[in-house]
Amino acid sequence: MIRIAAVGDLHYGAGSQDLLRPSLQHLPDRADLLLLAGDLTRCGGTEEIRVLADDLRGLPIPMVAVLGNHDYHSNREDDVRRVLEGVGVKVLEGEAVTLDIDGARVGIAGTKGFGGGFRGAHASDFGEPEMKEFVGHTKMLSDRLERALTDLEADLRIALLHYSPIETTLEGERLEIYPFLGSYLLAQAVDNAGADMILHGHAHHGTEKGRTPAGIPVRNVAQPVIRHAYNVYTLDPRRQVMPAAAGGVT
Amino acid sequence: MSERRADYLPEHIRETLIHDPRVAEQDLKVDVQEHRVMLGGNVATPQLRETITDVARELLPGYEIVNETTVVPATEPDGEEPVA
Repeated sequence: MIRIAAVGDLHYGAGSQDLLRPSLQHLPDRADLLLLAGDLTRCGGTEEIRVLADDLRGLPIPMVAVLGNHDYHSNREDDVRRVLEGVGVKVLEGEAVTLDIDGARVGIAGTKGFGGGFRGAHASDFGEPEMKEFVGHTKMLSDRLERALTDLEADLRIALLHYSPIETTLEGERLEIYPFLGSYLLAQAVDNAGADMILHGHAHHGTEKGRTPAGIPVRNVAQPVIRHAYNVYTLDPRRQVMPAAAGGVT
Repeated sequence: MSERRADYLPEHIRETLIHDPRVAEQDLKVDVQEHRVMLGGNVATPQLRETITDVARELLPGYEIVNETTVVPATEPDGEEPVA
């Protein structure tokens, strides 16, 4: 079994020193890799991400992250990425990485994702340039995610997002803000390409568990939702996965 | 600050807390009754919780600030979940 530790929305900043460190001490005994689902900082400041980098430095398991909307706020997302990569965290945006864990190939495709809403009520790239840009951004990131997942040759394939691909894991949030919390286009991309699991954050008042229309498990690992330093999910890399076209996972 | 209609005051407070770099928290619930401001939601650290009170006091010196935000625990999980 592959043990995946995951958390998002840590929102590191002043006063976050050692927030995770005590809980990370035993992580290498409990998980084979750590996935970070974005919003790692409050304002996307390099001084903020350095605090988290200090907590993660030296952790002897692979670490993979996507950034979240907060990590873009200071327009220094490239610097945030560099600081994370400096302590060995692979940061994905429309890309994938494959890790060899005890002989199993674990592939992770990641994107921040973006909003728009859900089936029957999704925003359209119609009208003002601002609306076209908003929805166009979600479409572009979803397309890249689908390509990255499709090209991924691995025994286990994980989609790592910040924004939510489904409504179920938003339950608890106000309906009015659903369009700013995620988009069905992300779920469609993963259902088209196939995957074993989707992890996301962003929805602090949401619900942990859900599934895509094709049946792929979704977990909202926003820290205010899981209320721990991380959660651990186990997946069997030898499990037979049905093609997405045949209905998805078994 | 300029005089505002009370109807818009909670949103003004929420916007201020989002854009103040000491806070930058979008997850806060704000209610105002008379001269009392009630703040709710999740925060990552005890220090951030105190800062939120400080920023609200700076914004509305004459108001009572009731900070009912919760610091989210960052302890280890009890077990693991078999997903697939």
